[in-house]
Amino acid sequence: MATSTVSSVPLSLNDRLTAGILALLIGGFLVFGAGLANSAVLHDTAHDVRHSYGFPCH
Amino acid sequence: MIVKTLLAAVVAGLIAGVFMTAAQEARVVPLILHAEEYEGKEPAATVPGTETPAKEGETHNHSSLNAPSFPTDILAALSPVTPAYAHEGEHEEGGIMFGMSRFSGTLLANLVAGAGFGLLLAGVSVLIGHPVTLSNGALWGAFGWLAVHLLPAIGLPPELPGFPAADLGDRQTWWVATILLSSAGLYLVALRPEIAAKIIGLVLIAAPHLYGAPQPTDIASSVPAVLGAEFAVAALATTLAFWLVLGVVSGFINDRFARAA
Repeated sequence: MATSTVSSVPLSLNDRLTAGILALLIGGFLVFGAGLANSAVLHDTAHDVRHSYGFPCH
Repeated sequence: MIVKTLLAAVVAGLIAGVFMTAAQEARVVPLILHAEEYEGKEPAATVPGTETPAKEGETHNHSSLNAPSFPTDILAALSPVTPAYAHEGEHEEGGIMFGMSRFSGTLLANLVAGAGFGLLLAGVSVLIGHPVTLSNGALWGAFGWLAVHLLPAIGLPPELPGFPAADLGDRQTWWVATILLSSAGLYLVALRPEIAAKIIGLVLIAAPHLYGAPQPTDIASSVPAVLGAEFAVAALATTLAFWLVLGVVSGFINDRFARAA
């Protein structure tokens, strides 16, 4: 009984803020690395992906 | 709780990334390879006397990301080195990391980008308090595609290698700004009930297009226009499929695992 009530509790506002901001930061970092980073090695590795996603490239 | 939310987003992104790799290999990558055969060649119909061939080559370099464009453009225009030679030289500096093949590089980048977009989607949905579920996942995906791909593509359509383009930094700035404004605008239009919010949302969506995307000064290109048209449609179609998969899989995982805990 106790476990089932815990499982239906939605994320608290604090948890939501932390999770959301963490997700945005990590996600932004990953997308930046794959799509926008100004590095020749990253660019050449992700070249076809950058073009396919329509990231500004070259 | 927090870790589960993040993990769910990453897993959904990885799945969508694998799917995206398959979709790209089917349609988009062949077009890129085809266009690269023309890249660096002189445009068939150059306007006489406006651009030097050397500059043409420099702006289309693969690894010209490093180079600040303005002084190097002038140097390249004065340089005796031919565009083709400069292109080869630049390529040797970069190269695909860990000596992977082109395909594994694409797969890796798709996984990273997929996880990144998955996290961004989860972050936005958690922050505005509209969780991604199986039933609204496709809608979330469609809105992600609108904000990240279709709306920016109005100003900066997906380009093939060898296409003329404005300064990279300007385009990246405009692109990122457009995505942020479009996302905020779509949120105001779709999820806020107030009429004023919807109007402000439309203004935000329109603003970057009224400002105008950075455009190249010379639009001559040796890559056939038909390839460009096919590529733009293929790129937008595959990214739409990617976002739909990402949204639906995120919703499924959220329903099944993340929110149940």
